[in-house]
Formats: sequence, structure tokens, C-alpha cells
Amino acid sequence: MPGFPILTATILCPLIALLVTLLIPGRHEKAIKIANTLCALASVILAITIWAQYDRSVGGFQMMEDMAWLPSFDIRYTVGVDGAGVVLGLLTAIVFFTGVLSMWTLKTRVKEYFAFKAALVFGVFGVFFALDIFAFFFFYEIAVLPMYPLIAIWGSTRKEYSAMKLTLFLMAGSVLLFPGLIALYVQAGGETWNILELAQSPQYTRTFQIFCYPFIYIGFGVLAGMFPFHGWSPTGHVAAPTAVSMLHAGVLMKLGAFGILRIGMTCLPLGAAYWAPTFATLATAGIIYGAFVAMRQTDFKYVIGFSSVSHMGIVLLGLNIYAGGGDVAQTGLDGAIFQMFAHGIMTALFFSAVGFIYDQTHDRDIRHFGGLVSQVPIAGSMFILAAMCGMGVPGFASFWAELLVFIAAVQTYPVLGILAIVGLIFTAAYTLRVLGKAMFGPRNKNWEHLVDVGVWALLPRAILVGVLLLFGFFPNLILDMIRSTVWGP
Amino acid sequence: MNHELLALACVTAPLLGFAVALIGFRRRHSSAAAIVIASGLVSLVASVLLLITARPEAQAFTARWFMIEDFSIEFGVLLDGRTLIMGSVVALITLCIQVYSLYYMASDPGKGRFFAFLALFEWSMLLFVYSANLLQMFIFWELVGLASFLLIGFWYEKPSAVAAAKKAFLMTRVGDVGLFIGLILLFQTSGTLDVLGIANIFEPHGLPESIAPQRIELIAMLLFVGVIGKSAQFPLHTWLPDAMEGPTPVSALLHSATMVAAGVFLVTRFHGLFLDAPTTMTTILWIATFTALLSSTMAMVAKDMKRVLAFSSISQLGFMLMGLGAGSLFAGYFHLTTHAFFKALLFLCAGAYIHSSGTNDLIAIGRAGAARRMKITTIGLVVGGAALAGIPMFAGFFSKEHILSALHGPGQMIFKIGAFGAAFMTAYYTFRMVFLIMRPNPNSQATPDEPAYPHDDAHGPAEPLAMILPIIVLSLGALVIGFFGDKIGAILHVEHIHHPTIGEMAPAVVVALLGVVLAWIDFGRANAKQRGFVSLVPAAEKLFEKRWYIDEIYNTAIVRPVIMIAKLCYGTETRGLDKGIDSLAYSTAKVGREVARGHVGRLQLYIGVAVVVVASLVFYVGMR
Repeated sequence: MPGFPILTATILCPLIALLVTLLIPGRHEKAIKIANTLCALASVILAITIWAQYDRSVGGFQMMEDMAWLPSFDIRYTVGVDGAGVVLGLLTAIVFFTGVLSMWTLKTRVKEYFAFKAALVFGVFGVFFALDIFAFFFFYEIAVLPMYPLIAIWGSTRKEYSAMKLTLFLMAGSVLLFPGLIALYVQAGGETWNILELAQSPQYTRTFQIFCYPFIYIGFGVLAGMFPFHGWSPTGHVAAPTAVSMLHAGVLMKLGAFGILRIGMTCLPLGAAYWAPTFATLATAGIIYGAFVAMRQTDFKYVIGFSSVSHMGIVLLGLNIYAGGGDVAQTGLDGAIFQMFAHGIMTALFFSAVGFIYDQTHDRDIRHFGGLVSQVPIAGSMFILAAMCGMGVPGFASFWAELLVFIAAVQTYPVLGILAIVGLIFTAAYTLRVLGKAMFGPRNKNWEHLVDVGVWALLPRAILVGVLLLFGFFPNLILDMIRSTVWGP
Repeated sequence: MNHELLALACVTAPLLGFAVALIGFRRRHSSAAAIVIASGLVSLVASVLLLITARPEAQAFTARWFMIEDFSIEFGVLLDGRTLIMGSVVALITLCIQVYSLYYMASDPGKGRFFAFLALFEWSMLLFVYSANLLQMFIFWELVGLASFLLIGFWYEKPSAVAAAKKAFLMTRVGDVGLFIGLILLFQTSGTLDVLGIANIFEPHGLPESIAPQRIELIAMLLFVGVIGKSAQFPLHTWLPDAMEGPTPVSALLHSATMVAAGVFLVTRFHGLFLDAPTTMTTILWIATFTALLSSTMAMVAKDMKRVLAFSSISQLGFMLMGLGAGSLFAGYFHLTTHAFFKALLFLCAGAYIHSSGTNDLIAIGRAGAARRMKITTIGLVVGGAALAGIPMFAGFFSKEHILSALHGPGQMIFKIGAFGAAFMTAYYTFRMVFLIMRPNPNSQATPDEPAYPHDDAHGPAEPLAMILPIIVLSLGALVIGFFGDKIGAILHVEHIHHPTIGEMAPAVVVALLGVVLAWIDFGRANAKQRGFVSLVPAAEKLFEKRWYIDEIYNTAIVRPVIMIAKLCYGTETRGLDKGIDSLAYSTAKVGREVARGHVGRLQLYIGVAVVVVASLVFYVGMR
């Protein structure tokens, strides 16, 4: 179908879900769920089609669409994908789809819930495809804002506090980001918001780039769970309901890292290179710090939350290796994007397994469990599989992602690289601690009545495991795609 | 014979067995076991055929797995002397253990899962051994570790088993960090992932000029760190004694042909590289000798049969590394091969005794009359024990001789003395174990820690065929494999094997016999006290029993500080960062409230403030 605006169609899937959800009266819960499932399924199909249609031999940005939006401010609706966009678009679609399926049992305020969630996904797709800074920021804010009601209404454990904390953190990030983005526009002469055109701008002197880059990096970094501005993320994970945690850790945190790459590193390569050692150090600190904090946590979701801080540190480390340039820059980028994808799927699996247990027990304290794997073999196995992926066991997608980042890191920043690899020991330590306490060990008699995952509830989880294994065994599928990512000029 | 097909069959059969057994037959235990054993048989036949029909030159069958840019990642099977022998050993011993498990695990509710994991273990180890590619090596090295984790923690409701599995995974991972960095540097230096290609760079004596000697030292040292973890050498040896928490067949597999063997195999694989790193080789000798001595002392006082065997594994791995460190590929490799047979044999015998008497305690097993009831097992125990102790004509004797005679270089006298010391202790503790079982003496001073509990199914045959057959096969192996030294040397392309003369052999034989005689005096003869000569020095006995307090030291010096750091980070997070941000937010809200308090509706005040502000602005602008 030449000329079919496939990217717009993908962005519209959740928007249609949103509108349909709003139109259906709230008492028809089943209809709402079916509508959302269908729209999510459509987005998966479209994301796969984008993957298939993307011409890797050409590379660069493809499937571009461009039209005027607010002409008086030079704002245009420009979308296009490169390798990174394709990969992350698929990630979003998968997490959207499996998230809808795993909330099939939701009973409270079904309509509102699915509406907010669709709005969130709408924003996420927009960010991954947008090539206009204004549109990018517009979608970005759309993606971030629904988190507040989603957590405050459907959450648990200090939900108002967490929702407020999360929103304030992200707003603070946006406050840094906004002047940075406007500076980009103004400095280039105030004629275009297009990222690709801006990247060519001769006005971005080295001094300007060095000055402007931290605004963008830290502004987006807050959302990426960048140490030491990660505080919102574990709290938010804990409070959020299952599918929101899945989306939140699985996709939303990637928006931050993607923003750094798409806007920061593309438009301000010199600034990025200048700051790379500093931010790489912070990223490594995050890897180790996250692992250490996770070692002391007693709440399932807090452990996963801090493991996300640690794993996102690997993404940021990879990105900074890319920004620093050199022989292994591309390897660092490959690893970073692969890790975004792998971590997204893995955390979704983690949260869906924990959510399944929490729904029945209303307890998430790992000390209150024991021998879960014999009580709920399938749910327990899912958790163990996710844990193995987190530890970087070969056969799972994360293995390759971490391998690539570490290979690049040892060669670019030997000390940081070695520290990051040593971090693997602590990752194993906190993961095995959770497994040993909750999944293995003597059965806790309180939970003998737990019901294991049924066929329907198994479906989303099986999809996630399948994806992890697929890209664990055939990493080239994704690496070829990432390789088409456009370099900074 | 088509070698490519054979190799393919050999390495894929266990994977199929694993997948089918785990997914399809998790609850149909007997079918799962049958499938896994069938796959093990395929691997064995294929690997032995490959060994018999091997070509003199190395062959590699690889297929491109994927490409990154123009760099192709090839996976496959490398057939040369080192892989062919080890592959057959792995397949043979795994099959023996699988058959043995048929009865041993017969009534276990997780039997299907057990067999599936055994197949996973075999698959990982085979593909590690046959690796044609560095990356493949690393992947399967990790998977071997994963499979051992799953099997050590097989009885996952037992907290001690979970702790042991966790410990094994973590401690080997410490080593893996070294290995991982070493492999990255090796790849960077050699520019290829091809194992054969790398071997060819380093195989000729002397380094290529393009490579700095310090770099090779660094790489070799880092690789050895991985070996220390995997092959349980000091200071990362403490996981192996705990690993016996797994079912006994797992211990037999873990201690002989898989897991710990992987570490030593890595050194044999890159022995050319290690030869170019003399400082590392000396380090290996020091660590290996020290480990061999250290763990032998622990074995002399341990009462748990499996623990004695575990300590002896650590010490025998030290022996292998001594041979390799002294520069003799053949000596180390030969001992790796012979040890696989007799150690698997000893563990299977231990399993049979434990199964029938319900205790791990040597003294209790002996007093329960196990030796009389289980004659074939006891013959196996004697054969395995004699091989381990280095009694002439048994397997261990030949390979140990080669290691001892390899230690002849300048400055290696001290290692040779250490090796003799360890050999003496080995003979002593081995026959302590044999005599405690065969010549129980209820009136001796020995006190069992754990009484015997005959099994519920003790009325069944004491020595069922499924358990006896593997013991017989491995006993035969332990009897004959020692005579195949020259053959193994030829397959390894070792040019000249130094055959020790009678005069050179004599000291080792004397030392071994001395150990046996002393064990006889202490434990074997009628009215022996059965307390051992170590008990003459109670402090030493305590020290050995407490395993030199190494676990305690690690607990204080490493585990606690790590937990402290974690607590510190946790505190920073909750009380520092979180509190800080919270107070920022709360104080902002407070400022808002305070300011709001000023908004009380007094118009005069508002206008007054406005006038003052405007006036100051005007004044400020006017002044400029």
C-alpha cells in the first residue's frame, strides 16, 4: 500500500481506542475491554508491518509524513522512523497489547482506566515517531500526564503521594527541558522545529552545545530513571496498578532515553561528546546504586523498581558511549537500544507476574511468601524467567544487550566498564535473594489457596516470554534494525 | 561416517531431550526420563564414533548464526583432540548418571523436571566443550552455571539447598566477571572469535611480535579468575562443598565431567596462551598447590561422606591445575579424564549408601552395615578409592605420576613438595573413608553426627540394577582408563610423553602407601580408635573441621560489608534523597500556605505593596 500513512495509523490506534472507550457507556465493561484489545491488536499488527516494510538496505528515516500544523509558529506534524523508532514502536505495541490483556479482570472504573491508558499509549507512539521537536514535546507531555490519575485512582500503597511525587519530578524535568528545546529553536534562527534540519544548523556552536546539552539530558534523564533523579520511578512503580507498571517501566522510561538520543545527541553531538564521561559515570553509579538498594528492599515492586534504575543505567551508559564517539560507538548504541527493548519486555513480564500474585493476596512483601513456585508453578516460573533475563542469562534478550554495552564500555571507559560488569554480581545477589525468599524455600501455608495462571491469563505472559526468547536466540533480527539508526551528523 | 551429521546429532539430542521432557512430559515422569536417556545415548554414540573415526587434523563445522555489519558470528563444533576426548567423557558419565537417577529419583515428585535439567546440563557442557567460537564458549559456560544452579537447588523447598544454589551461582559469577573481561580483551587482541584461530596464534612457542607480553599476562590472569570460580579453587572454593545439597547424582555430575571440569578445560583449551604468560603460570601453581593442601586437610576430618568427596574434588582440581601450570598439557588433561571416572564412581557409591542408610555420615553408614549389604557398591568404593589415592595400576596413579613428574622445572621444588603432601593426605583421607565404611567398629571413639535412618523403601533391593550398572561401568573405567595415557597423548598431539621410570615413581607410591597404612592404623585395624592422627592436636582438628574459618571470614569481611553498603544506599535513598525531595515539596507547599495567609482581603495592604513595588521599579529603571 504505497502512500498509506502507516505511522499516523499506528499513532491513531490508541486514539481510536480512547474515543471508542469514551463513547461506550461505562456499564458495558466487556465492550470497552474488547474495543481496547482490538485496537491494541491493530497497533501490534501495524508495528510489525512497519518492521517488515522498513528497508534496512537504505536505512535512515523512512515512511515520512509531513504536514503543516501551526504554520505561524513553523510547527509541523512530521513523523518518520529509523531503526530505533521501529524497535521501540514494536515494544510499545507489545506492551500495550499484553497490558490490556492482563487487565482483563479489572472491575473498578473500567472506562476511565482504559481511556487514560489509551491516551498514554497515544503519546508514547507519537514520541517514537515524531521528527518535529514541538510535536515530540507535545506527545511527550501527553504520555506523561495520564500517569497521575492512573496511579492516584487505581494504585495502591500511598498512591496519592506517589502520583504527586512522580508528576512533580517529571514536571521538574520538563521545566529543564522546555527552555532547552526553545533554545534549540531560537539559536537555529527560529525557522523550523524539524529535528533533522536543526541537526544541520551551523548556529550550534560548541559553546552553545555544551551549555544547552545538560538541559536536554537531565530533562529527559529524569524520565529515564537517571541517577540521582530516579526517586520518582520506584515509588511510582510500586503504587501503580499492574498494567500501568508494565507500561510505565516497560515503555515510559524509554521515552526519556529515546529523547536524549533523538534530540540531544542528534542535534547537539559536540555537547553530548563533551558531557559523555560525566554522564557515563552517573549511569554507572546508577547501575551499582540501584542494585545495592534493591538488595535491601522487601517489597516485590520496589525490588523491580530499583532493578529498573540499575538496568536503565546500562541503557544510559550505552548511549553515552555512543555520544563519546570512537570505534565502539555503534556497539554502545546497539546495546543501549537493545537494552531498552529487552528491559521493556522483561519488566512488563516481572510486573505482570507480581501483579498476578498481588491481585490474589494483596501482599507484596517478599518475606511473607515462600515456595511460590510450587504453589503457583506457572506464575512462579514466569517470574523466574524474568529474573533470569534480568541476570543476563544467555538465551534471553538482555544477555546480548548487556554484552554489547559492556564490550563497548570496557574499551571506551575501562574503569566504568569493569565497575558495570562487577555490578552483575550484585544484580545476581538481589535477584537470587528474591527468588530464594519468595519463589523457593518452604511453602507459606497462608497462600495454599492461590490459583495459578489460567489459559487466558497465560496468553499475555507467554507472548512476553516468547519475545524475550526470540530475540535472545536471534539477536540479529533486532540488531540489523538498530543498525539503521541514523547517526548524528 | 559423516562427521558433520554426527556432531550435529551429538550436540542437539540433549537439547531436544530437555525441551520435550520439560514442556511435554513434566508430569509424565517415566516418559521424561526415557526421552532424556535416549537423547543421552544418542550423544554418547555420536561422540564416541567421532572420537574413534577422528581425523588427525582439527575439523570445525560451523554455521553462521547471525551477522553484525560484516562481522559474522559463527557457531559450531570444533573437533580436535581436546574436544573429542572430553566430549566422550561428558556423554559417557552423564549417561551413567542418568541411568543411576532412574532408581535414585524414582519416587521424587519432580522426577520429570530433574531429568530435563540433567539434559540441559549435558547440552550446555557438550556445546561448551565442542565450542568453535569464543562467544559460544562464554554462553555455554554461563549455561553450565545456570544448570548447576537449577540442579543444586533442585529441592527448592529446602532452605539449605536454596542457599547452596545461590552461593554457587554468586561465587562462580565473581569468577565470570574476570573471565568476561578477559574474553573481551582476548577478542580485542586477536581480532577473531574463532577458537582454532586463537589457538593457532598462541600454539607455536613464543609470542607474535604484535602482542605485548603484559597484555597476554593480563588476559591469562583474567581467564584464570574465571577458572578459580568455576573449578572451585582458593579463594572461591567455598561454594563446592555446599553444592552437595543437590541430589547425589547431581553432585556426581557436577564434580566429575561438568561444571568444575569446565574451568580446567578452559585452561587446556587455551594452554598455548597460558604458556606465553609465565607469571600467570607461577600464580596458577601457587594457588593450585595451596588449594590442594588446604582442601585435603578439611577432607581428613569431615564426617559427611559427600563432603569428604567434595573436598577431594577441590584438591584434585588443584592437582590438574598444577600439571597445567607446570606446563604439561598432557598431565593436566589426563588427570581431568581419569578423575572424571573415579570421582563420578565414588559419588554414585556414596549415593547408594546414603539411599539405603538414610544418612550422609560415614560412621553411621559403616555401623548400619552398608558395606556387607551392598557388596558391588563396596567394590566400586574400593576401586574408586584406590584410584583417587593413587594406588599403582589404578587410574589416578598414572595421571598423578605425570603431574608429579611435570613439576621438575627450576623453582618448582616447593610445588613438588606440596604435591607430595597433598598426595599423602589424599591417600589417608580416602582410606579413612573406605575403612570407616568397611570396618565399622561400634566400640570406637568415633561419634556419628547424624544417625542412620533406613529408607522407607529399604525393603526393595539393596542394589537395584539401575544403580549397580553405572557403578560397574565406571569401576571398569577407573580400572582401565589409566592405561590409555599414550593413546590420549597421541590424540592430543602431545609429541613426547615423559614416562616416569620406576625410580621416579617410587616416592609417590611410597607416599600413597604411607597414607593408606596410616589410615589402616587409625581406622582400619581391629580396635582402632577411629579418631585419626589429627585429633592429637585438637586446635588443628577444630580448624580443619571449621574449614579454616574461611566461610566465617568471608561473612565478616565481604558479605557483611556488602550488606552494610546496601543498607547505606538504602538509607541514602529513603532518608536522604527521598526525604530531601519530600521536604523540598512540603516546604514549597508550606511557603504557599504562608503566602496565602497574607491574602486576607485587606485591599489597603495590596495597594500599598503594589505601590511600593512599582515605585522601586521606576526608581531602578530611572537610575540606569
